Amino acid sequence: MTNTWYLYLFFAVALIAAGLLGLLARRNLIKLLIAVEIVGKGVSLLLLSTGLDRGHILTAQALVITFIVVEVSLIATAMALVINIYRHTKGLDVRKLAKLKG
Amino acid sequence: MIILFVALPLVVAAVLPLVGRLSRRVLPDLLANATLLFLLVYAAVAGRALIAGGPVLQHVAWLGEAVNIRMSLDGFSLFMLLSVSLVGLAASLFAIDYMERYGDKATYHALYLIMIAGMNGLVLATDLFSVYLFLEVAAVASYALVAYGLGHDELEAAFKYLMLSVAASAAVLSAVAVIFGLTGSLDFAAVAAALGGLDAGPAVAIASALFLMGFGLKAALIPFHAWLPDAHPSAPAPISAVLSGLLIKVSGVYALTRIFLNVFGLTPALSAVLMVLGTVSLVVAAFLALGQKDMKRMLAYSSISQVGYIVLGIGLGTPLGIAGGLFHLFNHALAKGLLFLTSGSVQHATGTRDLDEMGGLAKRMPVTSAANLIGALSIAGVPPLNGFWSKLIIIIALVQAGEPAFAVIAVLASVLTLWYYLLMQRKAFFGRLDPKWAAVREAPFWMTAATVLLALLCVGIGILFASTVSTWIQPAADVLADGVRAAAGSWGF
Amino acid sequence: MIVQTALLIGLVLFSVLALLVKDLLRSAISLAAASLLLGIVFFRMGAPYAAVFEISVVAGLITVLFVLTIALTKAGDEVRESRIANVVFPLVFVAFVVIDALVMKSLLGKVPALAAGAETGSFGEVLWRGRTFDLVGQIAVILAGVFAVLALFRKRDKHD
Repeated sequence: MTNTWYLYLFFAVALIAAGLLGLLARRNLIKLLIAVEIVGKGVSLLLLSTGLDRGHILTAQALVITFIVVEVSLIATAMALVINIYRHTKGLDVRKLAKLKG
Repeated sequence: MIILFVALPLVVAAVLPLVGRLSRRVLPDLLANATLLFLLVYAAVAGRALIAGGPVLQHVAWLGEAVNIRMSLDGFSLFMLLSVSLVGLAASLFAIDYMERYGDKATYHALYLIMIAGMNGLVLATDLFSVYLFLEVAAVASYALVAYGLGHDELEAAFKYLMLSVAASAAVLSAVAVIFGLTGSLDFAAVAAALGGLDAGPAVAIASALFLMGFGLKAALIPFHAWLPDAHPSAPAPISAVLSGLLIKVSGVYALTRIFLNVFGLTPALSAVLMVLGTVSLVVAAFLALGQKDMKRMLAYSSISQVGYIVLGIGLGTPLGIAGGLFHLFNHALAKGLLFLTSGSVQHATGTRDLDEMGGLAKRMPVTSAANLIGALSIAGVPPLNGFWSKLIIIIALVQAGEPAFAVIAVLASVLTLWYYLLMQRKAFFGRLDPKWAAVREAPFWMTAATVLLALLCVGIGILFASTVSTWIQPAADVLADGVRAAAGSWGF
Repeated sequence: MIVQTALLIGLVLFSVLALLVKDLLRSAISLAAASLLLGIVFFRMGAPYAAVFEISVVAGLITVLFVLTIALTKAGDEVRESRIANVVFPLVFVAFVVIDALVMKSLLGKVPALAAGAETGSFGEVLWRGRTFDLVGQIAVILAGVFAVLALFRKRDKHD
């Protein structure tokens, strides 16, 4: 274990925690997607710092790039959904989406 | 050439929009179904010969240059490939008529094939990160497919599904990072070998918990189930069938089992957690299903309950329990696929999913209602249908392993299952025909054909259960029962 | 190390800001700033390719997507976030961070050293020797995204 790894991991987990809290606390659909993005940043920092400390930075880098590609695809799909939802409800409030019960 | 299972659907999906320009309906239908038929035949005919000499590890060469696409095929993955192609084909045949009113069939088929390719890739993957990646491929395609109708409910369900699914994949990827940090490797075999000689209990426990959360969300085990009763009913019927029949099993149960049994090795604690999660899902979801008025919602809760059976059987960890769990996975894929497809036929004919509005439809839609009855009885575990045998195997395995309490719960829940399915039959198909359904007619040809195909399979496998188990289920269960040795030994590096 | 720490603190601050700020456009811009900082962190970690992707794709492309969506859904701006969440969020977050700092330290102490040596070769070699299957997955996920957008923005002819 090294201190640099500790530093990176600490911030990575803080980012993931912030994102997850955002997912729970926010109501605006776009804010929710921003929270998703923040979780994604945390996870990519986690991957890369793990690779750095364990001497596999190149593999980790390949993984992070793939992860970013996945993220773009995901966000594009989510945005398309949000715009469609907006057309239906004329708003971005997650509470307006309460027609279905869990 | 096992890469065909991933590459072929992708290539066909990529050319479908161009084909869609030439012909809006016939060619896309033909091409998509032909692809799935080819994969089914390939898996069923060539698959067993391929793995006759042990698991196949394929390295692909491109123009003479080894590009190191590594995928492996063993009994378990072959079994999953067969299930995916079989139910995938049936749902795709059904879509020929059903998706007519949604428009833009080429895009639909393209997304559908990408989802199939994602599931196949996940099943053939040999490393942890590929599992995550193909999970996402199938998931991204499925968000759009759930929302395909573009109505309010569909969009809302898709968004909810997306949010929970993102949390699931973040958990999976974090677990992958933890394992990567522990072992410096991502490959199943190398990770299994490294973990064997490692004393890092807490870190492995964290990774296990994260995997359990991620795959539990994907498999919709209670308490991670909140998204499923929204997402599955809102999707178009063939997509509901594939989501319930395949996607939750491939991206939830398959990934969970592969990693926990073949890579981590099933510890008693993990086994207990899986069995309890399975039992809770099995019982709670059965009670929730009982109160549903919406036909597809009832089926969705039933899926959660039946996945509970599968996880219970596999979590038990004995060879018989694993075989029973896998057999039930297969049977549930067929029967739940069938039930969702027939619910689609009913919705297509009547325009409603509300059980209270239906009634007496058996007189107007005899084939659909017969197929639905077979599916319902199969899931409820009525002999001699296939679902009976798999539940029987699970219950025998539980008794043999000295867990009579779990066995009793499983039997009682099965009675509950029969109860709500009979309720569905009575409300939808039997009883007096409401005059407003007097003009209802049997579903179009391909929809009926797809349901009849699955119904015949349910009956046929019920009768020929012994040979099905020995040819398909046993090799798969052997791989899992082998535990860590299967990964480390036979895919040797 | 100090520069790196400062960058990481900035990254977390911008991320939290992106969640707390009311105006969506500002929120998207703080997210882009966070991405930019993360890209620099990546670069200083010795991962230039990941850094380039983070800056061009996440800070660039994804921000464009966000701004586009915000512009297209302009009238729905006034979503009232709950007041309690605005107060509770920073508190819970700080509590999380404290727990994070404590737990992480003790956990990392338990991680054993690695038997295998570090990897050698260039990034290209590692990518092409080890992670080629990921490229197939990338193609698949891009196709999925493209078709998903096509499907969600298609013209509805008959249905509903």
